[in-house]
Amino acid sequence: MIEVRELTKTYSDLRRDQFVAVDGISFHAQPGEIFGLLGPNGAGKTTVLRILSTILRPTAGMVSVNGFDVLTQPDLVRYQIGFVSANTAVYDRMTAWELVEYFGRLYGVETNTLRERMENLFSKLQMDEIRDLLGAKMSTGMKQKVSIARALIHDPPVVIFDEATSGLDVLVARALLDTIGELREQGKCVIFSTHIMREVERLCDRIAIMYRGHVLSEGTLHELLESYQQTDFEELFFRLISEHDQQHTAASSST
Amino acid sequence: MKWSNVKLIFSREVRDQLRDRRTLFTIAVLPIFLYPLLGMLVFQVMQFTREYPVRIWIVGSEHLPRQPRLIEGTLFSAGLFSYPKDNELLEVVLADSDSDAKGSEELQFEAKRAVQSGDFDAVIIFPPSFSEQLERFRKQLGDSRLPIYDEAVGEIPSPRIIYDQTRDESRVAKERLAMVLHNWRENIGREYLKQNNISEIVAKPFVAEETDVASEDQRRAAVWSKLLPFVILIWALTGAFYPAIDLCAGEKERGTLETLLCSPARRSEIVWGKLLTIMLFSSATALLNLVSMSVTATLMMGQLEQLEQTFPELPMGMPPLISLVWLIVALIPVSALFSALSLALATFARSAKEGQYYLMPLLLVTMPLIVLPVLPSVQLELGTSLIPVTGLMLLLKSLMESDYQLALLHVIPVIGMTATCCLFAIRWAIDQFNNESVLFRESERVDPGLWLRHMVRNRGDTPSIGAALLCATFLLILRFFANFQLSTPESWSELATVTIISQIAFFAAPALIMAFILTRNPRATLLFRMPVGFTLPAAFLLAALLHPTAMTISAQLQELYPAPEQLQVMVQKLIDGAPNIWALLLVLALTPAICEELAFRGFILSGLRHLGHPSWAILLTSLLFGVAHGIIQQSIAASIVGCVIGYLAVQSGSILTCILFHLTHNSLAILSQVLMDDFLAFLPAAKWAVQSIEGGYAYSWPFVVASLALAVLILVWFSRLPHQLYAEEQLQEAIDNQTVRAVAK
Repeated sequence: MIEVRELTKTYSDLRRDQFVAVDGISFHAQPGEIFGLLGPNGAGKTTVLRILSTILRPTAGMVSVNGFDVLTQPDLVRYQIGFVSANTAVYDRMTAWELVEYFGRLYGVETNTLRERMENLFSKLQMDEIRDLLGAKMSTGMKQKVSIARALIHDPPVVIFDEATSGLDVLVARALLDTIGELREQGKCVIFSTHIMREVERLCDRIAIMYRGHVLSEGTLHELLESYQQTDFEELFFRLISEHDQQHTAASSST
Repeated sequence: MKWSNVKLIFSREVRDQLRDRRTLFTIAVLPIFLYPLLGMLVFQVMQFTREYPVRIWIVGSEHLPRQPRLIEGTLFSAGLFSYPKDNELLEVVLADSDSDAKGSEELQFEAKRAVQSGDFDAVIIFPPSFSEQLERFRKQLGDSRLPIYDEAVGEIPSPRIIYDQTRDESRVAKERLAMVLHNWRENIGREYLKQNNISEIVAKPFVAEETDVASEDQRRAAVWSKLLPFVILIWALTGAFYPAIDLCAGEKERGTLETLLCSPARRSEIVWGKLLTIMLFSSATALLNLVSMSVTATLMMGQLEQLEQTFPELPMGMPPLISLVWLIVALIPVSALFSALSLALATFARSAKEGQYYLMPLLLVTMPLIVLPVLPSVQLELGTSLIPVTGLMLLLKSLMESDYQLALLHVIPVIGMTATCCLFAIRWAIDQFNNESVLFRESERVDPGLWLRHMVRNRGDTPSIGAALLCATFLLILRFFANFQLSTPESWSELATVTIISQIAFFAAPALIMAFILTRNPRATLLFRMPVGFTLPAAFLLAALLHPTAMTISAQLQELYPAPEQLQVMVQKLIDGAPNIWALLLVLALTPAICEELAFRGFILSGLRHLGHPSWAILLTSLLFGVAHGIIQQSIAASIVGCVIGYLAVQSGSILTCILFHLTHNSLAILSQVLMDDFLAFLPAAKWAVQSIEGGYAYSWPFVVASLALAVLILVWFSRLPHQLYAEEQLQEAIDNQTVRAVAK
């Protein structure tokens, strides 16, 4: 469903010349699976997800979504995904209903189907009371719900959540995680990035731990704990990161 | 591109803007209130000038003659005013008659103080001997024995008006006083003539009558045709800029841009949707301003007509209806151009605040273009019609003045130039939307040294787009200044020296140096590779086959837009001075072919191909190539030829093809001028193809069409050559074909 092979993304930077944000990472995710990208801020998660959603172009490597290549077929890839991120805000001067309808029509959803789906989504996400509320007047939680409705309106096979729970209170965050769980039940391929370990433990079928543009380890929670002989996921995370830092220091001092 | 998506984005953006109070204020509220307010202000000023009562102090009233009377009772004589009641607007205070006891200097000092302190708005002092001298003069006039001018009688002393230019009231008082004195003086003169039985005609033996060939409508159109385009342009720009900032930079700032970018709308659909929105608001702003201005003007005219007698030279009537129609027609390209420019700039801005900073530079660049047409000496001609904005304004002016013949002649260059500018601006905006570094730009330290080092250190095999544009700008600036510095050649040897030096110094050398500094692979940049198979003969043949067409285009251009004859005669004289045909070909064909190709098809085109669209790169290079040619008629021809050479460069990948084509093209142009007589004498059968016309030769139409058809065949052959695409071009091709390929899958 999603295949990432040797993906590299570099930015040209006046001072550092080339800044490598993502350094040759590979992973893949299947339908009916929640794939977690866990890593601290600046690990490169957002860059990877932006490449998946065709907002950025890869420098090297191959990324395909449902068989379409993100570099050469970006328009087709965008029909396959719903993208919710902290950077995909809602329009201030549009009501919830208008916004979801607008994106539905951009995706070319037929009028009757669109209406049906919107009614369903609005009731499922409990958004009926904010139907006619302008984006500017919504709380963070309401905005996040609208974003989710916007991302699901075309019923995409792949849904991507980038730091989707950041800034949400416990209640809303919990409801969001439940929604994501339901998406898995519907057979969608979900990519979920976060820096919060509890969310990963609770939700994800498979996890890739990212740090400084690299994937340090990948597998199910159980596999990861077993292979590093750890009982606590947090301990495992810190161990991987400090090992990487040590290797990095050793490598740079030896050259 | 799906137009349904463009429509969707357009209607969303329009609704969004209409819900924004700031936009509504600029496009609707401001014009509705601005002009009535301005009108009221003007009206207030006029009313003030007309109706404000002023206080006048008259010193030495006892020295006034009895007849005709200046003062009656405590007011100026009513007969001296056009409206008799107007004398009440000047309150008169007479000075005590003891003022005579004071010296004239003391009197003046007192009068000045009275004006400065504001006690009086103006003072008039009549000197002591005023009426006596007038009387003496009158007597002398009546006595035919005395000479007309007698020293013993002396001059009539002048009354003095004292006022304060900086105080409005005082200025009004002075003007009214001057008017009263003028009428009074005329009365005195008339009285004298009457007493001596002389006709009044003596004072004004004749009055010249004037006939203005312009009709009332034309006169009004002439005034409005300078004013209205200016107003429309300024508002079209303002109306485009603010929505553009909100639509692009604002969207970036609010974080909704990423939402839109991950939707299935293509970048070009987003840009078109936004562009149409900006255009709508730009034209609406201009139109609302126009309407508000017209309504205000109509209302004011009505009011002013009542005052017409006091203000004989009324500013003007309403603009004729046809002018307004043309204005609205012209609004479409004007707003399209400004909208596209604002959109591209606003996309570049990181935030709305940064966007605001770009308004000033944009205004500074456009302002001269807007002001230029208002200058009296600037006329619509080929040169001015090709200046963006200016050409459009001049065309509009001639349409408003009903000079349709002039307008028709220039409508193609003006619309062509405007459309080209619009398309480039739109292309630029779309590319900005595709450019990650623009969309996710972070603030970088401003450090030219660091930037230059970065550019050299990270140079690619071929120059970057920035390097290509840098090179083009550099060449054009060099040429511009060199035109001032280099003397106009007066002989063949001077012409040869200047041409060779400037070709090498301004084209070849900069391109070579930049290729070595700014690229890793100068050979690839300058297309130093052998072309395959029959490419070279094909290029030669193509140039030869296109020669009749090129000549015909030049001749047509020359006929429609004649270049100064002086210049042609001068060039002909210089060419006649050439020692032989080989020298002519070396200087005017081979040198430019090598030097110009290295710069334009070598460095610049190689850089611009990173745009990802070969046709845009060729077009832009050709336009720059055209601009680099001094004379405007030549520039147009060069731009067209440039497109063909650019295409050969892309298809053959070799600079030799370009040089050969350029050399053949120039050589044939020279040879056909110099050797046509000999040629026709040698081969009289060729006369069906070449006709002798006044001042030269022209190719017959069948010959031109036939050769052009063959040329097209060769171009088709070129299109089938295996050629290398840049990575950006390959990617773009793949993206453009994605739907087709996906269906095939």
